[in-house]
Parts: sequence; structure tokens; C-alpha cells
Amino acid sequence: MKLTVNNVQKSFGERTILKDIHLTVHDNEFICILGHSGCGKSTLLNMVAGYMFPDSGTIEMNGQAIEGPAKERGMVFQDHALFPWCTVLENVSFGPEVQGTPKAQAREMAMDFLKMVGLDAYAAHYPADLSGGMKQRVGIARALASHPEVLLMDEPFGALDILTRDLMQRELRRIYEKLKTTILFVTHSISEAVYLADRIVVMKHGVIAEIFEVGLQHPRTFETPGFGEMMAKIERLLMEDEEEALV
Amino acid sequence: MNEVPNVLTKTKPATGATLLSTSKSSKKADWSFLKSALPYVLFFVVWEAFSRLNMRIEMFNPLFLPAPSTLVHDGWALAKTGVILDSIMASSGRILAGFAIGSVAAVMLAVLISKFATLERWVSPILTLISPIPSLALLPLFIIWFGIGEFPKIMLIAWTTFVPVLVNTVDGFKSVPSTLIRSALSLGASQRQVFTRVMIPSAVPNLLIGAQISLGLSFSALIVSEMMGADSGLGYMIVDARNYFKVTNMFVAIILIGIEYSIFAMLLKLLERRVLGWRKGGMGQAVEKAKPTRG
Ligand SMILES: Nc1ncnc2c1ncn2[C@@H]1O[C@H](COP(=O)(O)OP(=O)(O)OP(=O)(O)O)[C@@H](O)[C@H]1O
Ligand SMILES: [Mg+2]
Repeated sequence: MKLTVNNVQKSFGERTILKDIHLTVHDNEFICILGHSGCGKSTLLNMVAGYMFPDSGTIEMNGQAIEGPAKERGMVFQDHALFPWCTVLENVSFGPEVQGTPKAQAREMAMDFLKMVGLDAYAAHYPADLSGGMKQRVGIARALASHPEVLLMDEPFGALDILTRDLMQRELRRIYEKLKTTILFVTHSISEAVYLADRIVVMKHGVIAEIFEVGLQHPRTFETPGFGEMMAKIERLLMEDEEEALV
Repeated sequence: MNEVPNVLTKTKPATGATLLSTSKSSKKADWSFLKSALPYVLFFVVWEAFSRLNMRIEMFNPLFLPAPSTLVHDGWALAKTGVILDSIMASSGRILAGFAIGSVAAVMLAVLISKFATLERWVSPILTLISPIPSLALLPLFIIWFGIGEFPKIMLIAWTTFVPVLVNTVDGFKSVPSTLIRSALSLGASQRQVFTRVMIPSAVPNLLIGAQISLGLSFSALIVSEMMGADSGLGYMIVDARNYFKVTNMFVAIILIGIEYSIFAMLLKLLERRVLGWRKGGMGQAVEKAKPTRG
């Protein structure tokens, strides 16, 4: 798998949201896109997903221009977007089923993914019965059940409390190490990005300000040598203009 | 103020409660049933008493307001002639046919509208023009166009059902959260699968709201159309009774209409509960009932 974003620009009306975006995502990479609210992270991810198209430039996956949403690019939303009328199991088996897997087999596959996120006991429940963290686990299981080549995640843990968020980050890292799916993860939490990512793409005002190779040993904690320095470096970069504006 | 006993709910003084508390839990169901039946019983008892009193002192002609016991007696006699069963069958057939035709047509048009934006641009102004007209006003016209047979009646009921179901279902299709559609597409669903597996289930709650609004309206349409140019049905029973000044029969028909409407409304509610079992919400879910503290 190889994903290339080449010289992409996107405007809404008069406002240019993204410009000069170049990014190459390699197989098995875990990439975090980090930036202030409104800097265009979701817009970029939505274009990769195929919900929107760049005004100029190209986004290609395995050499093919993206023409719309497809199962090769799975999506996890901040508001989980589970189908409320489907049980947890039906939600997860939705992908395999619409792709033509026989129902019984699809359910079996779904059950395996539910086990992986530790929610097999809730298979028969409706999403309304679950807590926010559990819903997001189901969202991740659902996206993975379609065997995507790249998993796109738009602030998936943004609505969770800090403890649940920590737990989910560890879970995600565990799942990633098991499946080695390529992940493109949008966040505005610096620590989240440093904890999870192999590379961090820092965006500012619609351009990529810098790309950091994290290169720390996993599992990481705040005490891991270099963790704090990495966070400080990114924070300085993100705050630069803000301080200039204050002077 | 707390000492004032509430006659409808609190029937035992506090001292008696301890004696009863052992058998209380097993009897609880019967009690709550009785309690909910009480207003109905009271209503008929007062009616009966008032009618009987009126028979004595003749404030007005007793024939105008027959007692419930008379209604049961005469109603039973009427039932034995088969008139009641025939009327109920005729009315039920019309409402079922009209309601089904109206709903199916409305859902089909709603589907087309959600697929073709052009269609909506043409249909919606026409609907705004026609839909405010009470459908009953159209009945004489329908009779002139379609004669006095079953057709105009069923058409009227269908039309009455059509508008609310259409409006609500279109609204339902429009308010499907876009992230749900995006999820389905990213999971590999085709356009058709998005429609059958996402759009339709999300629009069902709205569709049922439309159907519930329609039901009351289509019952009015049913009764009025049976009052004009019909020879069967509950509405016909009322006009027939008026022509022969059989007030008792009128009451019997009126009560039957009430019962039939309640049954249809209940069926719709049951359907809703079946289809929308996944939905959570409302007061029952928002606040759990506090357990009564004993001691
Ligand atoms: N459909 C749209 N039409 C017009 N403007 C839009 C649209 N979508 C996004 N924008 C604008 O584009 C900018 C970037 O939006 P985007 O959602 O990509 O930001 P973000 O980086 O994801 O922010 P956040 O962290 O708050 O989610 C915002 O200023 C937003 O107002
Ligand atoms: Mg966003």
C-alpha cells in the first residue's frame, strides 16, 4: 500500500483551507496529523476517504487516483457513527455483508473483531446501551472488519475522558501491532500524537509546517527518554505565531 | 397540606399498611389494573345514574341520552341481527385499503423525491398548494367524479393518509446523518445498499409518525364518507339511525367507532415498538424510577 498526496489545494468559497500539501504514507506506517482546530485536518482526511475532492493536485492510492469512498480506506469518526438500529454485532458485520460475504460467515468474522476489542459480551446490545469508549471500540472493530488497507481516524478519542482516552490509545497501539494496518490518525492532542505515531505531520494554517520522525521505543510513556523533548518541540512550533501575534 | 388524603390513589390509612404489606406484592398487579380502570367505571356509573334520574324527572326527553345499560341491551339485540358485524367489516375494509394505498403511494413518492431533486422542485410547490385543504372538502367532488361506490371513499381515505406520510417520510430521508452514509460507503456499500440499509431504516421513525398523524385524519374521512352516499359501515349506521330517530343505535355506532380507532391506534403502536425496539429515550429512560424506601 502506498498513499500519496501531491500538491493538494482545497478551498471552500473564497477561503483557501489547504494548500501545497505533499505527503507520502508507506505501508504499515502509523501517522498522526496534528494541528489547531480549523487548520484543515478533517478536510484532508475527508479527501483521502473520498468524501471530497481536491481543487487541484492529486491524491493517489497504489498509483490510482481516489474517486470516492471505498472499503480499502476505512473510516472511524469522532461521533462513532454506528448504525443505531443494528446491534453491535450487526454493525461490525455490516462491511463484510455488503461486500457479499455470506451472512453466517460475516457474523463469525465480526465476532472475532469484537473479541479483539473486548466487546464480544455486548454483541447483542444496541449502540445506545454502550458507553462512549465502548462505542468507539465498536467503531474501530467495524472499520477493521472490512480489512481496509489504510485506517483513517478523525479525532476518534476526542469525546472521551482522559482515563478512557489513555486506555483506548493503548488498545489502538496493541491492535496496530497485531494487524499492522496503516493508520492515518487526526488529533489535536500533542501527547496523543507522540504516544501513538511513527511520524507526526504538524499542520498550521492549511499548510504542513513540519513532519517529525518520532523514533522512540514502544511501549512509550511520558517517562520514555525523548518523549518530553518531542512534545516540547512540537508545542513550540505550534505556538510560534501565537506568541508573535501577542507581541 | 400533606395530611389531605388523595381519594384516587391513597385508600388506606398509614396504620393499615403494615398489616397489608405481606400480601401487597402479589396483589400489586391487580391493584394497579383496578386503579387504571377506575376513571372508566366512574364515567359509566355517573352516566347510568344521570340517565336513570332523567327517566324519572324528565329534564329532557330520555330518548336523547340512553343509559349505558340500555345501550348494551339494544346493542346486543342489534348485534344478533348481524348489522354490527357487517358495519364493522365494511368500515375496517375501507380504512385498511385506503390507509395501505395512501401509505404505500406516499412512501414510493418519498423514495423518488429523495432520489431526484428535480422531482421535489416540482412536487413540493404543488403540495404546499393542495395539502392545506381539508380532505373532507373534496368528498363531494370525489363523489361527482367517481360515483358513490367504494372507490371515492377509499380514494378519500388514501389521500388523507398520503399527505402526512409523504411529508414526514421525505423529512426522514433528508435528516439521515451524513456520517452514517459516509460510514456505509467506506465499508463498501453500493448506492443501492446505502439506500436499503441506511436511508430506509433511518426514515422509518418519521414514516411511523406520519402514519400516526394520518390515522386520526383518515378515520374522520372514513366516517364522513360513509355518512354521504353509503349503505354500509359505522358512519352509515349513524345517519341511518338519525333518519329513524334511533338514538340508541347512534350511540352504539359512536362507541364502536371509538373502539375501532383505539384498536387501530394500538396496532400501530405495537408495530412501532416492534420496528423501533432499538430506540432509547423518553422520560422512562432519562430518569430511572426511584425505588420506594421502606422501613
Ligand atoms: N463544507 C464546508 N464548507 C465551508 N467551510 C468548511 C467546510 N468544511 C470545513 N470548512 C472550513 O474549513 C476549515 C477547516 O475545517 P476542518 O474541519 O478541516 O478543520 P479541523 O482541522 O478538522 O478542525 P477541528 O480540529 O476543529 O476538527 C474550517 O475553518 C471550516 O470552517
Ligand atoms: Mg476536524
